Amino acid sequence: MRAWRPILAVTALSVVLAGCGGRSDTGETPAAADGPWSFTDGSGQVVKADKIPTRIIAHAGEAAALMSFGIKPVGIYSDEPVKTDPNLRNLDLTGIEILGEEWGKINVEKAAALRPDLIVGDWWPAEKAHSGMEEGVDAQSKKLAELAPVAGVTQGKSIVALAEGYEDLAESLGADVDKPEIAANKTRFEEAVTAFKAATAGKPGLTVAAMSPADDKMYVANPEYAPELLDLQSWGLKVINPGSPDPGFPYWENLSWENADKYQPDLILWDGRSFTPTANAEWGGKQPTWFKIKAAKAGAAVSWPAFWLHTYGDFAIELNKLTEAVKAADPNVGN
Amino acid sequence: MSATSRYATRTPARGGRRAIALGPGLAALGVLLAVVAFLSITMGSRSIGLSEVLRALGNLDTDGSITSTVTLELRVPRTLLGILVGAALGVAGAILQGVTRNPLADAGFMGINSGAAAFVVVAVTVLGVRGVGVYIWFAFAGAIAALALVYAIASLGREGATPVKLALAGAAVTAGLVSVTTGIVMTNVDALNELRFWQVGSLAGRYTPVLTGVAPFLLLGLAASLGFGRALNGLALGEDTARGLGQHVTRTRAAAFAVVALLAGAATAACGPIIFVGLVVPHLARLLCGPDYRWILPYSMVLAPIVLLLADVLGRVAAAPDELQVGVVLGVIGAPAFVAIVRYSRLSEV
Repeated sequence: MRAWRPILAVTALSVVLAGCGGRSDTGETPAAADGPWSFTDGSGQVVKADKIPTRIIAHAGEAAALMSFGIKPVGIYSDEPVKTDPNLRNLDLTGIEILGEEWGKINVEKAAALRPDLIVGDWWPAEKAHSGMEEGVDAQSKKLAELAPVAGVTQGKSIVALAEGYEDLAESLGADVDKPEIAANKTRFEEAVTAFKAATAGKPGLTVAAMSPADDKMYVANPEYAPELLDLQSWGLKVINPGSPDPGFPYWENLSWENADKYQPDLILWDGRSFTPTANAEWGGKQPTWFKIKAAKAGAAVSWPAFWLHTYGDFAIELNKLTEAVKAADPNVGN
Repeated sequence: MSATSRYATRTPARGGRRAIALGPGLAALGVLLAVVAFLSITMGSRSIGLSEVLRALGNLDTDGSITSTVTLELRVPRTLLGILVGAALGVAGAILQGVTRNPLADAGFMGINSGAAAFVVVAVTVLGVRGVGVYIWFAFAGAIAALALVYAIASLGREGATPVKLALAGAAVTAGLVSVTTGIVMTNVDALNELRFWQVGSLAGRYTPVLTGVAPFLLLGLAASLGFGRALNGLALGEDTARGLGQHVTRTRAAAFAVVALLAGAATAACGPIIFVGLVVPHLARLLCGPDYRWILPYSMVLAPIVLLLADVLGRVAAAPDELQVGVVLGVIGAPAFVAIVRYSRLSEV
């Protein structure tokens, strides 16, 4: 039986393809013009198609970005269960095929059956690859890239730039980004930025550090590699740049627990993936040196949306929380 | 002169001469261990002046300064844990090598690491357990369960748990448990994260609660282990000879496995699977004191923590302000060390 499986799969696939061959012209997505379509990918290459892509498979956050502009993908692959993925957990995913819920694992057979005409994933300049096709991803999963052209916005220095990039991509795909309910997200975001800037301007002496405690050591984030932290810095928040990031993995400076007090911010931006309202007290109880960080001792910690934001709407929500934390913070805690 | 005749003439003489020096040698190693322990308390990823360390040790109560917290709450329990865990792994390795008559035997070989790992991921996924302080008990239970299973499988049949059957059962149980662990970890990010921390093998992040939790088991096991010297010497002559000398082979084996379960189970639970110590140190001990297990066991017990603590200090100093896990350091220096021992000693003479 085993030897037959590939043949059966191919047969099944061609039946599906034959059965659906004519349907893509029936106009599922209203497109201003049918094409040709092109988009400048994060890698700098221009991705072209004869017609505007309508059957899109997207990575989690990128899918959320497209959906925020009214473009619904046919398939999604994410790095964790879609129920817990911060980009997807509040979205209605009915009618969207879930192609993977673990980093590096994508069901390409299922993806092929969706007959995609575009794959959307962030471009990671350091790794020179799109999300889902990086080093370490299953060789099988990487074949996703062979199904359709791949395009995405570059990850790097700013979430705002990322959100704007996906706004452009969505627009090129036929989204009406000026529609009131869509544009409202951007307006909310701009208001949130204004409020955040005002809050940081009111606390000129306030310093923060983005931290992630773990059982055997603790990590201080390097804003250079965390676009949302660069955005926060550009809006006046003094996020500490760690002095000696790990050369092999420069996203963080690793500190042994003996050196937990190396940085003394006034407010801790706590990795949102592990933050809970009781986390600070818990870590103070189990790590003898955690409370040697004065801000931790004072309970000055707020969740930091680490490495996931893609949309104006999500950023606005997170930014408002940070604004409140900045307003409430005591700029003399870490002195 | 042929190899056999050289053996016949040299071994007894050397053994006799050695026995005289072995006692003082052990004492000297004890002093060396004390020195290494002192290094482990005074050196680390944070540079603290010697006088400050001594002052903190003199107070014996943290005065709230970070130097005294680091000394008393981080380094002292870490060092004590390193001594106990190192001794336990060294002795457990020596006993396993003797009782299975297999020069490659150590805790990992008998399913202990894989059993502990499997129970950790089950505890995380099924029971929602978090944090090293809680899941060490699951790891301990897993290690004991795996070892008991290996022993039970190997004991099937008339001739009992022979070395070959033990090796096969160990490999089979390990393979089965590893596939369970992998299966769970593939689908559960929390389990992966918890396992990743535990699986490296590290003395970091374990403080007084972990130390006081496992210390009674380790001390009991260490005390019991020293009684096995004569029995292991008998087994080294072959089972039939051992029986001929009046030894109850099956009972010896069962008791030895119980002690190993206690030692390696508690050590692995506390610090994760630490490699090479249990494998290499008994060979080092054998190199120093010849084939007599009455000496190999105490030598392993003192040599192993010296090796473990030195590797740990190296990992802490070399990577400051970060730390390298001792499991990583041992992997890097342990492999060439083992090759050297294989090359320059008669490894197969277990």
